[in-house]
Amino acid sequence: MNKILLITLALAASSTALAAPTQLTFWNYWDGSNGQVLDRLISRFNQEHPNIVVKADFTPGGELLNKLQTGIVGKSTPDLAIADLVWMPSLARSKALVDMTSFIKANNLDLNDFYSEPLVYGKYQGGQYSLPVSASNLALFWNKNLFKQAGLNPNRGPKTWSELVTFSKQIKAKTGKLGFELYTAGGEGTSWQWQVFNWQAGGDLLSKDYKTAVVNGPAGVKALQYWVDLIKNGSSAIAQPGAFKRGEAAMVMDGSWMTQYFPNDVDFELGAAAMPVAAGGKPATNMGGEQLFVFNSTPEREKAALEFVKWFTSTPVQIEWDKGTGFIPVKASVAENPGYVNYVKNTKPLLLPFIQVQKYARARPPVVDYARISDILARDIQEALYGRMTAKAALDKAAGEINAILAAGK
Amino acid sequence: MTEASTLRPGRLKGRSGKTWREVWAATGFLAPAIVILGAFSLFPALYSLFLSLHRWQGLNPVAPFVGLENYVRLLHDPAFWSSLRVTSIYAVVSTVGAIIVGLAYAVLLNGPVAGRTLYRIVFFLPVITPSIASGTVWKYLFDPTQGVVNSLLSTIGVTGPQWLVDPAWALVAVSLVGVWKRVGFNLIIYLAALQDIPRELLEAARVDGATPWETLRFVSLPLLGPTTFFLLVTSVIDGFQVFDLVYVMTQGGPLGATDVLGFFLYRNAFSYLDLGYASAIAYAMFLIIFLVTILQQRLNRAGGAYA
Repeated sequence: MNKILLITLALAASSTALAAPTQLTFWNYWDGSNGQVLDRLISRFNQEHPNIVVKADFTPGGELLNKLQTGIVGKSTPDLAIADLVWMPSLARSKALVDMTSFIKANNLDLNDFYSEPLVYGKYQGGQYSLPVSASNLALFWNKNLFKQAGLNPNRGPKTWSELVTFSKQIKAKTGKLGFELYTAGGEGTSWQWQVFNWQAGGDLLSKDYKTAVVNGPAGVKALQYWVDLIKNGSSAIAQPGAFKRGEAAMVMDGSWMTQYFPNDVDFELGAAAMPVAAGGKPATNMGGEQLFVFNSTPEREKAALEFVKWFTSTPVQIEWDKGTGFIPVKASVAENPGYVNYVKNTKPLLLPFIQVQKYARARPPVVDYARISDILARDIQEALYGRMTAKAALDKAAGEINAILAAGK
Repeated sequence: MTEASTLRPGRLKGRSGKTWREVWAATGFLAPAIVILGAFSLFPALYSLFLSLHRWQGLNPVAPFVGLENYVRLLHDPAFWSSLRVTSIYAVVSTVGAIIVGLAYAVLLNGPVAGRTLYRIVFFLPVITPSIASGTVWKYLFDPTQGVVNSLLSTIGVTGPQWLVDPAWALVAVSLVGVWKRVGFNLIIYLAALQDIPRELLEAARVDGATPWETLRFVSLPLLGPTTFFLLVTSVIDGFQVFDLVYVMTQGGPLGATDVLGFFLYRNAFSYLDLGYASAIAYAMFLIIFLVTILQQRLNRAGGAYA
């Protein structure tokens, strides 16, 4: 009896002496059920890695970037953090992040498994400063009740741009409601939705080397003219956002995260599918999401933090993460995992089209000045929507302004 | 002048031990306020002056000194001039509107009104309601199809405008909310000033046969001059600094129609992380408000015999 006690004591003593586990802080903005899934995963990581203790530290989404910024300036950064991918170009240049390249090589992490577009966001001067850990994208939602009232098949959305218009006309005629709610309020909301139409028409915002604006090409003009026409032919309207949610518009383009919120917010049946495609164009969607990165500290802490990155981005953990949160996979091995796909089919049918369209997903250009460029683009899109400029003139103006910013940023 | 000269010898005499002790005691009592003001007001203000002379993209490890580059860029930025125009319109409309309405309410409440306290509370509530909350509510009230404003207008046969969605009306809507938020404050100040007007003057006017309107126009209003000046200065300053209403209601849109200087600064600082430029905008705002205040003071001295 005494012996057992002695051994236990000795073990306890030795483990405390040995351990003093590395304490890591992880700044993030995942709240609600996403935060709960994160906490569950982190406590599992901590159990599996007795010498590391990760502690999640929540900051509301709108404030995390400013907190990171003051942290970097004041040299009081956490060990790990996430950020919206559009912020990664600035963060990668801050010289405060750990280049993961050698760790990735040493651990044989397969970067080819990640979708390439978001991966680019972590690249800077040949280094890899972050890895994608979650994604979201855009697709079409519709109100099945309004579809039925309009005499449309409630289980099928419009497949082409022209069908979106014919559906809208039928809905307007039969129900008096708007066909398609367009996000006309400006800012990133407008520009990130419009970029989907631009890609579908075969265009892009910037050139492949991100040095010049190509948004005013024929595809861009076609995409913007389509938006202008949607308003002219009554399919859409310039309005404050929220018509779809209130049941006053039959269709809306919105994010994969809304598959969690819409079902609780609306009192009608929902359908979802990939966005209708331009004639002769290709399917596309716009991808957002978060990236995970490690801050410079001591070799020991950096090693422990990288260990967490490796674990969190591994396929089995990512499958569990995406199942729990409703995020879109960032790796093909997750998106194509039969167990995962079946899980979504059976439990979240609304999310399925978002996962299927992910392979066509594009990402916004990974440039430091994206926020400013996006505001310019949205403003000029509005100029065309409000009928103050032609689509071509508006995009020419946008391209000129964007080129000036890109030139000044060098 | 006389006050200052009587004070001066007292201060010179104060080199004795006793007064030193008083000085130390005063310093002790003032220290917390000085430290707090220094750390949270003075230092940031001076630091942003320093930043305005540098090119600093928030997360960049380097921030080179660029002299007046940010200020030159500001003068050539059409967005700045458009912002300045929008802000000036907002400041003038919200100031004048709130002064006229505030004075009218104060005159009405200065008469024999039942439940005066209740009215004062009701009119003062918008002043103490956070702009974020009232802005959010007004955004819904102004919704063209769902909003209460347009459905009220339709009951009297008026088709309401598209308000926040229409570039011609968005600034009107935001300014109306600005007036609504400011009226209660003006009302309280005017009411206090009206009650300070000596009864004899009003009675003398009445005895001389002045109508109530004439009494207001030729007796009360001139005596309210200093009050009006105070309200003008403070609300023009408030108007130039407007941010939260715009942030909540329109985000500067549509088409920049409500892109006030405060929001222009916010975008550059916290959305584009262009902190050197944002600091230059802040100093430009400071300069503009400073000049406007001096101008008001001059005008007041020139025209206000009662001030």
